[in-house]
Amino acid sequence: MKKELIIIGVILLLGLSLYSLTLRGEFGNPGPGDFKNNLDQAARPFELSPERGRYVHIVNLAERGKYDLSQEWAEVAYPDVGISNGKYYSYFAPGTSYFALPFYLLGAKFNLAQVAVFFAEILVSIISLVFIYKIAKNVFSLTARASLFSVLVFAFASTAWSYSVTLYQHAFTVLFMTTAFYAAWKFAKESGWRAWLYASWVWVAYALSITVDYPNVILMLPIMVYFAYSTFSVKKLEEGFSLTIKWAAVATFLVFALITGLHFWHNAHYYGSWHQLAGGLQSYRHPDEIANNASASAGTTKNVATFFSERAIPHGFYILLFSDERGLFFFYPIFALSLFGIWAYSKKSREGGVSAEYILAVALILTNLTLYSSWGDPWGGWAYGPRYLIPSMAFLSIFVGVFISSGAYTGLKKFLAFLLFLYSSAVALLGALTTNAVPTRGEAMLLPIKKYNFLKNIDFIYSDQSGSFIYKTYLSGKLSLVAYYLIIYIAIALVVALVLIASRDKKHG
Amino acid sequence: MAEAFVIRKSSFRIFRRFGEIFRPESWIFLLAFLTGVIATAWSYSHGYITAYGDAESHLNIAKRVIDSLTPGFAQLGGIWLPLPHIFLIPFVYFDWLWRSGLAGSIVSGIAFIISAVYIYKLTFLLTENKLASFLAALVFISNPNILYLQSTPMTELSLIVFFVLSSYHFILFLKNEELLPLIMAALFGFCATLSRYDGWALVLMEAGILFLYYFPVAFGFGRTDEPETESEASDDVASPEGRSLLAETWSLFEGRLILFSTLAFVGIALWLFWGFLILGDPMYFTHSQFSANSQQQSWLARGELPAYHNIFVALKYYFVTSVSSAGVFIFIAALVGMFAFIFNRENKNRFFILLLLLVPFFFNVATLFLGQSVIFIPSITPITFEWTLFNVRYGVMMAPFAAIFLGYLAYKSGIFGKALLVALIIIQTALYVIGFSPVLALDDGTRGLSSFIAKIPDAQNFMASNYDYGIVLTDDYARTVSIIRTNIPMKNIIYIGNKPYWEESLVAPEKYARWIVMQKDDAVWKNIYDRPEVNARLFKYFNKVYTSEDILIFRRIEDN
Repeated sequence: MKKELIIIGVILLLGLSLYSLTLRGEFGNPGPGDFKNNLDQAARPFELSPERGRYVHIVNLAERGKYDLSQEWAEVAYPDVGISNGKYYSYFAPGTSYFALPFYLLGAKFNLAQVAVFFAEILVSIISLVFIYKIAKNVFSLTARASLFSVLVFAFASTAWSYSVTLYQHAFTVLFMTTAFYAAWKFAKESGWRAWLYASWVWVAYALSITVDYPNVILMLPIMVYFAYSTFSVKKLEEGFSLTIKWAAVATFLVFALITGLHFWHNAHYYGSWHQLAGGLQSYRHPDEIANNASASAGTTKNVATFFSERAIPHGFYILLFSDERGLFFFYPIFALSLFGIWAYSKKSREGGVSAEYILAVALILTNLTLYSSWGDPWGGWAYGPRYLIPSMAFLSIFVGVFISSGAYTGLKKFLAFLLFLYSSAVALLGALTTNAVPTRGEAMLLPIKKYNFLKNIDFIYSDQSGSFIYKTYLSGKLSLVAYYLIIYIAIALVVALVLIASRDKKHG
Repeated sequence: MAEAFVIRKSSFRIFRRFGEIFRPESWIFLLAFLTGVIATAWSYSHGYITAYGDAESHLNIAKRVIDSLTPGFAQLGGIWLPLPHIFLIPFVYFDWLWRSGLAGSIVSGIAFIISAVYIYKLTFLLTENKLASFLAALVFISNPNILYLQSTPMTELSLIVFFVLSSYHFILFLKNEELLPLIMAALFGFCATLSRYDGWALVLMEAGILFLYYFPVAFGFGRTDEPETESEASDDVASPEGRSLLAETWSLFEGRLILFSTLAFVGIALWLFWGFLILGDPMYFTHSQFSANSQQQSWLARGELPAYHNIFVALKYYFVTSVSSAGVFIFIAALVGMFAFIFNRENKNRFFILLLLLVPFFFNVATLFLGQSVIFIPSITPITFEWTLFNVRYGVMMAPFAAIFLGYLAYKSGIFGKALLVALIIIQTALYVIGFSPVLALDDGTRGLSSFIAKIPDAQNFMASNYDYGIVLTDDYARTVSIIRTNIPMKNIIYIGNKPYWEESLVAPEKYARWIVMQKDDAVWKNIYDRPEVNARLFKYFNKVYTSEDILIFRRIEDN
């Protein structure tokens, strides 16, 4: 227990320090006039529309007490702005904005509203890291060292880093997914008031996850199937069968109904219908655009569900896994080891009595991959790495931990893992320290820069263009960005080397 | 708070009794029959039974055998294999079954039901688990691509049933080495070779597996007392006992191969002989102007044969087509099941069984690679191509593979895994319903390049409304008009297979025909319209009664 607390302390310390060193931000409580051609430029805090689209709602909630956007704030979020009953909204699900609101209110008092809001993501990410550790250690019975390595892979050798230091939904999705996974597992093992507590959290996490990103209703489904499986257990008896129902899971559905009811109310109140999603709102067309293009005068409505199509899967699969634009294995080859880990654990899971949990983890990965392969824009717009696969990376990183701790040749495996970690982490840090505004190949070819992956970020490093609040505020001009990059990188490499090589295991997980 | 209910066995008595009314096979038969009938009724009500251009061609070939100007088995032709058409003959005798396409629905529907039952039996052979086997059959029965094709006269189901039947008996033979299953495998292999060319690959693979099955034994592999070292193994062969074992195995293999091949390959020999006898060329089906190979040449000339001589693209095209045809989630689960099967060392025949079930994959990849066939599937075909949807129905050949290995995965899974698989099947079905997963076979039939109904010409309506009586001269291959959609009796058609009417009509069109239907650049157009001397006769004896950009229709003057 003491050892576990120490390791969790290490995770908190590492997460807090390294994420903070790369946190995107600038001093000030930006107003609507501060965005265009200023804060919305690459390596600035609001370089892309997802950050802007969520942030403008936070500001409007805090300053006007309303979720809808004033005209001037709508211009900030443009073109990802919809219109309903004459009011403006961004296309993004509302959850993230509501969760970050308290941080805005606090940060605004110190002229650090944007930094505080983005800091919320760091906290959310760090909680997820702790739960990744707990899942690896307690559910999959990995050693403390392998579990810690899994955490480090997810935190510092994946694209999760880039999206933990800015305002996106991904960190929240991972939080709800990992905590719901852990709670569902605990629920299956526990009884009494604890079972009620865990069941409640599973429902809460499911309901809240939908508020931050609508596709989570599908992404989280495997957990809900597992939860249902844990609720009903059937045993063979001589006289027939015994069916045991854990009523905690059934009764706590009320929590889900309550939160989802509030979500529906929000939709009805602002968007005009309980089932109207933000992304499906009629698009707002800027007067200038209408003037330039007569056909743009009428805004169009969209059916969000039609963005997903099985036909897109082969291409999306390639883009998300193998392409040099966003491919997981191109950006973060450390995850190739997770495939071996998945394979290695298939037999072990049966011996360890966790085959259901193993299937659940694999099902979550496959659901994520399939869902976003079928998404019309698997690149995630201008983005760094396969950002849609961040939830999968949480579980893939656990299987990297399995890889280094299972079977023979563990020394060789660790060495290989270390080498791949060095590459993957170097790429991850490049993105976290500079910009996520990386175009797709198609768009890059139309631009002078012609770069559509992390090669673009290398240019940023050499030209001292960083998004880091700490670097820009305190170190710019005193230390080159290359040096800053190397300091952080070497620190991570040393920690990982320590975890992998220097410490010794008494038992293999 | 957990509450336990004890459900006594007596409570299940009603279900058990219900289940015991029939054997599992009979339940599958009933389920397949009902879903097949419903799917056929749906296709019929939407006019999709003969949506494919090929669907009518299959019906017409069978009809001409019994009802044409020159009836007889020669009407079976030399391109498409004859068995599906022979099956159609008793049904197309009835005009309404021929014109509606229901004759084809009956044949494909019977094949569908038998396939479902034998997918259950085959999975049961591998798992000895009723639930898993039932799930496998259910996956097959609920596949909308299969359901659509079983309602049409297309030949895919005819092949699938013989593929499944032959595979089932072959695996049974591998399991118990009795001769009867081997003979049955050969018999159904024979039927497969006369259904679609994929069947040729099936019997070749079965013969190959026979070789692999016996010869590793001769060298010491696969035995329970395997030699521990390589030298021991080679000693086995070199020693008198080893040589004796080799000789014994050789004679066993020789006998089984001859027994199998005598029946299994006779269909191929018959077809080659038929080609020679009727068309003067045993290889007519590979290089005549009507062959698939000749059709692919035009795609190649346009640079639109992407898989030609590119094995990776061929693999990609057929893999994606298979995945889409089986349902993406079902196929992923089946792949997991396949790996679980491969690594189950208890089954010493697992690699042979896998090779057998992968025959459609090998065959289609090979034909794509060799340029013998082409598939255009929207997800990977470049949008610059003239067509992006064509021949995707070839993917359904992998539906038995997907069903069987999903069943196997269910067998290997615990309760949670089984629950997840059931959820997967429900989700996949829902995805088909909401349109996330396209029903490719139906899409191609209704709007792809394979479709007839997507491009029904106005001339079709003209003939349907104006044809009264008399013989019609038309190039059937060009599919200018759909005969089943008019009231023209088949015996009033002159097409290329009606010797000597066809040849004589191309010289003297007025000799037999009252109507002439021609499409730009088809055989009638080239031989009559484009040749001045015949063209003069055409306009002397016929009035042009219909003109469109590509199609002309003439009617005899004296009859006006």
